[in-house]
Amino acid sequence: MSNVVIAPMLVALVTAILTLVTRARPRLQRTVSLFGGGGYVVAVGVLTWRVFSGPVLTYQLSGWTAPYGITLVADQLAAFMLAMSAVVTIAALAFSTDYIEAFGQQIVYHPLFHLMVVGVTGAFLTGDIFNLFVWFEVMLMPSYVLVVFYSGPDHTRAALQYTVLNLIGSAVMLLAIGGIYATTGTLNMADLAVRLSNPEAFGITVGPVVGLAALLFAVFALKAGIVPFHFWVPSAYEAAPAPVSAMLAGVTKKVGVYAIIRLLFTVFGAAQLDLGPFGDGSMLLFFGPILLVMAIASAFLGGFGAVGQSNLDRLLAYSSIAQVGFIVLPLAIVATIPLTDGGTVAVLGGEFTVPTGAGTDGLRVLGIVAALLYALNHAVAKSLLFLVSGTINAAVGTIETDELGGLTRSRPYLSGAFLIGGLSLVGIPPLMGFFGKLTVFDTAATAMATNGTVGEIAAVTALGGAILTIAYVSKAWNDAFWGTESMAVVRATAQPLALLSIVVVLALVLVVLGIGLDPVYEGAHGAASAALDRGAYIDAVGPSYAEVQS
Amino acid sequence: MMGSVLAAGGEAGAYVPAREPQFVLAVVLGLLFALGTFLVLRRDIVRVVWGITILSQAANVYLVTMGGLAGSVPFVGHGDHGATATTDPLVQALVLTAIVIGFGTTAFALVLTYRVYEEHGTIDLTEIGDTHE
Repeated sequence: MSNVVIAPMLVALVTAILTLVTRARPRLQRTVSLFGGGGYVVAVGVLTWRVFSGPVLTYQLSGWTAPYGITLVADQLAAFMLAMSAVVTIAALAFSTDYIEAFGQQIVYHPLFHLMVVGVTGAFLTGDIFNLFVWFEVMLMPSYVLVVFYSGPDHTRAALQYTVLNLIGSAVMLLAIGGIYATTGTLNMADLAVRLSNPEAFGITVGPVVGLAALLFAVFALKAGIVPFHFWVPSAYEAAPAPVSAMLAGVTKKVGVYAIIRLLFTVFGAAQLDLGPFGDGSMLLFFGPILLVMAIASAFLGGFGAVGQSNLDRLLAYSSIAQVGFIVLPLAIVATIPLTDGGTVAVLGGEFTVPTGAGTDGLRVLGIVAALLYALNHAVAKSLLFLVSGTINAAVGTIETDELGGLTRSRPYLSGAFLIGGLSLVGIPPLMGFFGKLTVFDTAATAMATNGTVGEIAAVTALGGAILTIAYVSKAWNDAFWGTESMAVVRATAQPLALLSIVVVLALVLVVLGIGLDPVYEGAHGAASAALDRGAYIDAVGPSYAEVQS
Repeated sequence: MMGSVLAAGGEAGAYVPAREPQFVLAVVLGLLFALGTFLVLRRDIVRVVWGITILSQAANVYLVTMGGLAGSVPFVGHGDHGATATTDPLVQALVLTAIVIGFGTTAFALVLTYRVYEEHGTIDLTEIGDTHE
């Protein structure tokens, strides 16, 4: 029981409320919002430091023991994701204060932004699947409004699409949760893992959970924008203001990725059953091939889509679809290949045993490390690129690539930041993206040793996706930054220095993350191990099975 | 020792849930989901919003059903049936939360519909799609 677990959430919530009550005084409101953002970073920093230097921290709401109360769990995976989102959040927030019109900021922007952060934080920290649903909703509701922020014809249409798809997703998620509760009798993730690995002791059948987990998985894929659930991505990212697009691509998308890792690897992977054509073993084997097909489709559909775009935001949105394909590709590889050592660990003082999540060869850990490193690269690089696009919009007034050109001459720093972000997506050393790509390829190569076909398919996909990335990044670079200066660029005189400085700082972060990779890699490794260490997770939550019935 | 009220299906010797209401509800749920899906696929945005509302309400009814419809007492020792088991209260709490969330999202979806009408002068989805590019 540790109060520091809820600190980030409380800071964001209090900031949201304070920015609501200070609306009459815009300057004060902006200051409060920025300080709140800073406080959030500090809170996340303290929590991350505590989690990485000690055991898994939990917070049992109102002191109710698991599985009867709501449990919040901060393990290294959650802390890694929180730290990632904190970097993007503070950059996007600082960008917003200068980018969004004063009136818009005063009315709704700041409270909504912080409420979205509350939802994201809760989703990373919760240890309860219904609570996860609630945090998803808390995250989504502000994001609906932020997508429709400018409320022009295109924005309302994009927001309608985004809202309707996500509302259907919410209904489906509720169905899956209800079904899981009826089948297993619990909503607590740790408890769920214990029950799924000891079905006889609890008198439950595991079979139906496969289908229910697949429903949940579809909802997470919708949030992450993986093909075939990607339809909302391009128009929503184009419609939203640049800093909001940065948040959507950098943070809320990662919530979907996090949920896939947490639920599939930590929880549902604990179930052992005969999956017919998918093989006999962990439930992960069912999701592996599906995820693999979706990852391949995302990498190619997103990549080809991005090459054809003439609007910078749309290009980046399609690129996001492709990059999420890259993030889930290593997850798909390791989920497809059965564990080499199917041992078990004793949990809850030896009362039960659960199957180990990580095998002796370390392939599972490597796959999740690759996904996390790539997710971090995508979070920082893509939000940097969206903010560059926003700065161009503020400076030149357009982000259509046929109206841009020759930006390198008049705006070298801005162009440099775009180049760094683009090169990081491509994966050029010493930028962060290189190490992300390297570990993805490493996972594919290691997988070839045990399961040749899966490894080869993944390697070909990664290669094809990388070539497409080079294609669309160089297209954007050639059209907008190189060549002769267009009329719009020549006429533009605005010098948004504040925006530019944020963009440059974020580009430097990308370089620093690449050069000083060691602690980042250690962090990702710790997070991946935590995602697979079911024993530590379950023991930290400590569901008790004492008799409660009279 | 696994005989917690939360254990699925209860334990042997506990009450057997009545079949009829579950059967009726299963049919009703099927119809609600069919209707919701039908409405979501309409061209008229208002109908789409209705469809979503019906879908989310159907999910709520489903959640209540998942708690087991035994027609049993709300509290142990309540009533004179000598009941030792209760209707699962957790799903009711979940549904309350879901209803509140559904209320907020429906309100937003309706406001958004009005906003779409103001911007496009129509609520026909096919005509809205035409304005792009």
